[in-house]
Amino acid sequence: MMINNKIEAVYFDGQSSASQPTTVLFNDTLNELRLQVEGKISLVWQLEDLQFEQYNSLLEIRNKNYSGALLKIEDKDFSEKFFAAMKQNKRIDIHTRLLNLGLSKITAIAVCLLGSIVLAYFYVLPPIAEKSAELLPESFDNEIGNVFMEAFLNENDVDTTKTKCLEQFAAELNLKNKKKLRFTVVKSKEVNAFALPNGQIVVFSAILENMETPEELVALLGHEASHINHRHSTKMLCRNLAGYMVVSLLFSDVNGVMAVLAENAQQLHSLSYSRSFEQEADEQGLKILMDNNVNPNGMVKLFEQLEKESKISIPKIISSHPLTNERKENMQKIISATAHEVKSNNKLNAIFEVIKK
Amino acid sequence: METSMTQNTNQAQSYRLEFFGKGSDYFAIMIVNWLLTLITLGLYYPWARAKRLRYVYGQTALNNERFHFAGTGNEMFRGFIKIILFYVAVIISYMLLFIVTQSQLLAVLFLYLAIFAIIPFAIHGSFRYRMSRTSYRGIRFGYRGDRNELVTKFFKWVFFTIITFGIYGAWLQMNIRRYTHQNIRYGDVEFSNNANGADWFLLNLKGYFLTIITLGIYSFWWQSEIFAYYIDNMRMTKDDKKINCSSTATGGGFFRLLIVNFLITVFTLGFGKAWADMRTQNFICDHVKMEGDINIDEIHQTEEEYTNAFGEDAMDFFEIDLA
Repeated sequence: MMINNKIEAVYFDGQSSASQPTTVLFNDTLNELRLQVEGKISLVWQLEDLQFEQYNSLLEIRNKNYSGALLKIEDKDFSEKFFAAMKQNKRIDIHTRLLNLGLSKITAIAVCLLGSIVLAYFYVLPPIAEKSAELLPESFDNEIGNVFMEAFLNENDVDTTKTKCLEQFAAELNLKNKKKLRFTVVKSKEVNAFALPNGQIVVFSAILENMETPEELVALLGHEASHINHRHSTKMLCRNLAGYMVVSLLFSDVNGVMAVLAENAQQLHSLSYSRSFEQEADEQGLKILMDNNVNPNGMVKLFEQLEKESKISIPKIISSHPLTNERKENMQKIISATAHEVKSNNKLNAIFEVIKK
Repeated sequence: METSMTQNTNQAQSYRLEFFGKGSDYFAIMIVNWLLTLITLGLYYPWARAKRLRYVYGQTALNNERFHFAGTGNEMFRGFIKIILFYVAVIISYMLLFIVTQSQLLAVLFLYLAIFAIIPFAIHGSFRYRMSRTSYRGIRFGYRGDRNELVTKFFKWVFFTIITFGIYGAWLQMNIRRYTHQNIRYGDVEFSNNANGADWFLLNLKGYFLTIITLGIYSFWWQSEIFAYYIDNMRMTKDDKKINCSSTATGGGFFRLLIVNFLITVFTLGFGKAWADMRTQNFICDHVKMEGDINIDEIHQTEEEYTNAFGEDAMDFFEIDLA
């Protein structure tokens, strides 16, 4: 084989730390390096035995058969040729190959990957998570709702009289529920109401005190019942869980999924639904109003009441239900576009008067 | 070999420690690490760690010759698996113990003890692994500490720490440091360390109170004293020759380093950490002064090569300060 190239290098033999001037001979295919150490000893290094580090134009080459030995060549041209030869021999690992794309390309790849993960997080994940929520049995909803309700009742007082009234009030309505709904009024200064996946609707006494007309209460019940009818809590739980998995993957931290489950079960009542879930509950709630021949403006009034209240304190129902104005307008648009009949319901009015007392 | 080599070199040598690493290069490595770790659902982690260490070692140079870290992801992965297996075994024993004795106290006590007991093994394993995979001018570093000796001493020191309500902790730390460092070899150069618990205790006591009195400002000077204590006590000897190390870092220097690092990291939402890390490495190398008469051209290979056949000591996963 023709040896037609020659280059000066420095050699450490792996026995002593002394550097030895060396001449390296090689041919164009670079399948082997011939080392003439201090002009005397001749070594033949096969390309397949070599490992290297590249620092700009400096190459540090090591041979697995020569323990400790190190060959240093500082030559830009040779460095490039050597790299190409190693690449041809498939000796460059994926990490180095990516690194050689340059910082801007790597950053672009990383940004694209990150971007697609973020997109998937917002657009692919929710429908998948919701689909998987449909696979969960109803008993899951009941179990998680019961666990929460038990803990919640330990810390809050039930207003038994008002609870009875609210049950009677709800009995007068068709809330389109497939699941048996249960109603509870708790004594609280907080303006709030929430629905649990087990069919439990909890109304805080303060929100009742603010109401002026029965249709507002129908609107509230319609809205909360719709959350239950469409299993929003369970869907949201699946979504949060899936979201956490993606986030933990991003930061390479794989534990803590159980913590999310626990956290969500703890905070079920302040679990903020997504805007699309809120909108669905608004629209389905409105439909319940109309189908029960109750004045649909009750929904608008309910929003107004909540809005007013928000200037005094920070009720959770507002913070988890953003953009009240937009929602109000949406309701008004649907009301004016939909034919509906309003019948005065004396029974409802009577029960509402009792609740207000 | 002629004897002329050792005769003409009894004079002072000059040593210059440098760090060439650049934030942008390190950042690129971090991003590729992140990409590959993400795609492999985290499994790439040991390989990522090897790449990172290899870069930092390769960019550190003494008298213009670079250090080399030869550790590989495969080796570290084996260590990783071992630790996972250990934890699984501990958890299973914990549960069995709980079922058999029905005593939560006993089971939890066992859990803590087991996790605690791995510390001296991890110190030994990571020193042995890290040193054997580090080389400079073709000569390997090595760690000759005895595992059983370290484990015995470790528990003795821990016992003293417990009965002194933690005060002996300062001695525990420095004893471990002295033991590990005096067992480091670089070819036929022996390392030693003069750190002792009393000095360390007083240094930190003073640092702690002055930091409180000055509302935190003194912490940079405290940091500088800690650094100086680490460096000043390091020593290398070869026959009758030696190298002494000393720190040239000041509190003001640490102040600039840490404040700027903090700002870089915060204002780039963490992405600037690569640059901050490189600044730190650079600062360390810039502030270690070495003086002595060991000729670094005359070191001989003495440490055996790391054989990865069993990978028995590749426990490099604990973030143990090997400085």
